[in-house]
Amino acid sequence: MQFKDQLDFVRQHIKKNKLRVFMTILAATMGTAFLIVLASVGFGIHDTMRKEILDNRAVNEIEVYSDQMNESTVEKLKKRDHIKAVVYRQSMDLQSTISLDGFEGSQQLIITDFKEEGKVGFALKEGRLPKTSNEVVVGSHFAQNLIEPGEDPELPVTYDGELMGKQFTYQMGLYDEKESFPEETAFTIVGIAKEPAKDWIQDANIYADESIIPTLNQIYQANVEEPDGELFYGNVKMYADKLENVKTVSNALKEEGYSVYSIADQLEQIDVFFLAFKAGLVFVGTIAILIASIGIFNTMTMAVTERTREIGVMKAIGASPKLIQRLFLMESAWIGILGTVIAVILSYGISYIANMVLPMIVSAALSEEDLGGLDVTFSIIPWQLVLIASAISITVAMVSGWRPARKATKIDVIQALRQEL
Amino acid sequence: MIEVRELYHSFKIGKKGKEKEVPVLKGLNFSIQKGEIVSIVGRSGSGKSTLLHILAGFLTPDRGTIRVDGTMTTSYSEAERAAFRLSTYGFIFQNFQLMPGLTAFENVELPLKLSGVDRAIRKQKVKELLTIVGLTDVQHHYPNELSGGQQQRVSIARALITDPPIIFADEPTGSLDSETEQDILLLIQSLNRTRGITFIIITHDDTVAETADRIYRMHDGELKEGGVTHAV
Ligand SMILES: Nc1ncnc2c1ncn2[C@@H]1O[C@H](COP(=O)(O)OP(=O)(O)OP(=O)(O)O)[C@@H](O)[C@H]1O
Ligand SMILES: [Mg+2]
Repeated sequence: MQFKDQLDFVRQHIKKNKLRVFMTILAATMGTAFLIVLASVGFGIHDTMRKEILDNRAVNEIEVYSDQMNESTVEKLKKRDHIKAVVYRQSMDLQSTISLDGFEGSQQLIITDFKEEGKVGFALKEGRLPKTSNEVVVGSHFAQNLIEPGEDPELPVTYDGELMGKQFTYQMGLYDEKESFPEETAFTIVGIAKEPAKDWIQDANIYADESIIPTLNQIYQANVEEPDGELFYGNVKMYADKLENVKTVSNALKEEGYSVYSIADQLEQIDVFFLAFKAGLVFVGTIAILIASIGIFNTMTMAVTERTREIGVMKAIGASPKLIQRLFLMESAWIGILGTVIAVILSYGISYIANMVLPMIVSAALSEEDLGGLDVTFSIIPWQLVLIASAISITVAMVSGWRPARKATKIDVIQALRQEL
Repeated sequence: MIEVRELYHSFKIGKKGKEKEVPVLKGLNFSIQKGEIVSIVGRSGSGKSTLLHILAGFLTPDRGTIRVDGTMTTSYSEAERAAFRLSTYGFIFQNFQLMPGLTAFENVELPLKLSGVDRAIRKQKVKELLTIVGLTDVQHHYPNELSGGQQQRVSIARALITDPPIIFADEPTGSLDSETEQDILLLIQSLNRTRGITFIIITHDDTVAETADRIYRMHDGELKEGGVTHAV
């Protein structure tokens, strides 16, 4: 029998029992749509979280910790493969006092390598990078943290004059002592850093070149009798050239005994968690499809019983058992396929509406006008989900049609022909 | 054409554990020649239908062989028997056994569909055959919109459509009045003459038996030749 004729045959049978087949398809559709919509929430939340993480921080960044972090270690790290930059920032565990034109502040001094910083997005709003040890760049919020002393602490008056070219003095001091060290170091502001990408991050730091280290060390040693350990502690951030290489680099570093932290690690954990979460949702959804499969089993069993005599005639004329089985399997597959197609279309509709309506409901519930920060996608249906759901749904339909189809092939011709019309 | 040797068959009846064997066919030996009309007569319950079912491959005999043109059909698998039926046999049943969901035309077309014949050729062949059996006017009627005689003509056309060399008929006129019966018998005879088809007709009606070239009588599980009615 030609395939075209088989399809014709199946179609004719389905047409004869429209209502029953329709109800069965409806059940299959509901089961499959339930699976897709349910799992789409998993995909939606996963995507939202990934976006959130990728958005906020540098994805290529790898934080590296080591007990023996120093210049030579950093130089070695720079020579590794797949590295775009190694930013080695050093700071002091000391209290700092800044005074500029009578305004005071306690901004942190950070020693860094401007060449490396430049490779990974450190840019200036105005001015230039430091050339001598007493030239510095200040963060974009430096001025807001300079306060006129003696004023009402509830209503501080902050500095709003020119910064470029200004000189300020810098004093260090121990946290548990009132008085700072007497030595004052003078710095000249030659540049102002660009605002951080996120507007909720404030950058009030002072960035200086490493050539200032000996001067500061001297002051420290002159004032502290028994210095415990180094004055400076370092913080190393490595940047891989590509996101794909973050994993390789961080694994290699781990093996060499460094402590490593990267967004990629965190992402991987999140991915693993959501993989399990999504699998769980698909499993729950599959139960709905299995319930629908009972309907398919029933419909097909009834179809076979009803057509016993016709099947007998077909077999008598010379239809092979294989063909009989195929025709019935095609019928249940058709129910599965049609149910799936409708379910996929329906799911996209539901997903679209959910993404449109749910944020409105949430913002109404939170009674906030603007939810600019809340960029949540509740439901996403990627093609992989459509594929998985279709495979499950059609497989279940065919499996539940299997036994009735087998039953059809086993029908005894003589008994079937004996049935009354 | 058909050669039957030592054919035995019995049915088990009664409840499980207390079954009784009822022998129906007790070692049949006979042959049927190409192009003849053979009728098999016998009392009700004598095993005529059982024999036909075995010949057609609906039922596997306990013992014995059937050869059709030299090939032993008794050793075929179910799928092979189905394919053999499709190509070699045609069937006419007492209660017609038409597909209720198909029109007269589609019923006749069905065996060709099963054989995988192209649509255009199918339409052509069915049309020709419907003209021969005189059903052109009612070709788009469903079985329940046809008279008994018309339904039997549809079933004859369906049996003929694949040009099988052998057609089995179990009480082909059993549900028809005597006038219609006569029509059908004439049709069978003319098809036998013009197309050389071998007919094996089961009946307990003497008028039907007499259209045959040869009559076999089923009695007590054995088949005896009842004499030639008229020459080929
Ligand atoms: N499936 C079966 N199980 C048990 N016994 C059966 C079965 N089919 C037929 N028989 C028995 O086999 C015998 C022959 O039956 P069969 O149908 O071949 O008779 P028949 O000659 O065709 O009769 P009729 O002229 O009434 O159609 C009968 O006694 C019947 O009871
Ligand atoms: Mg009978």
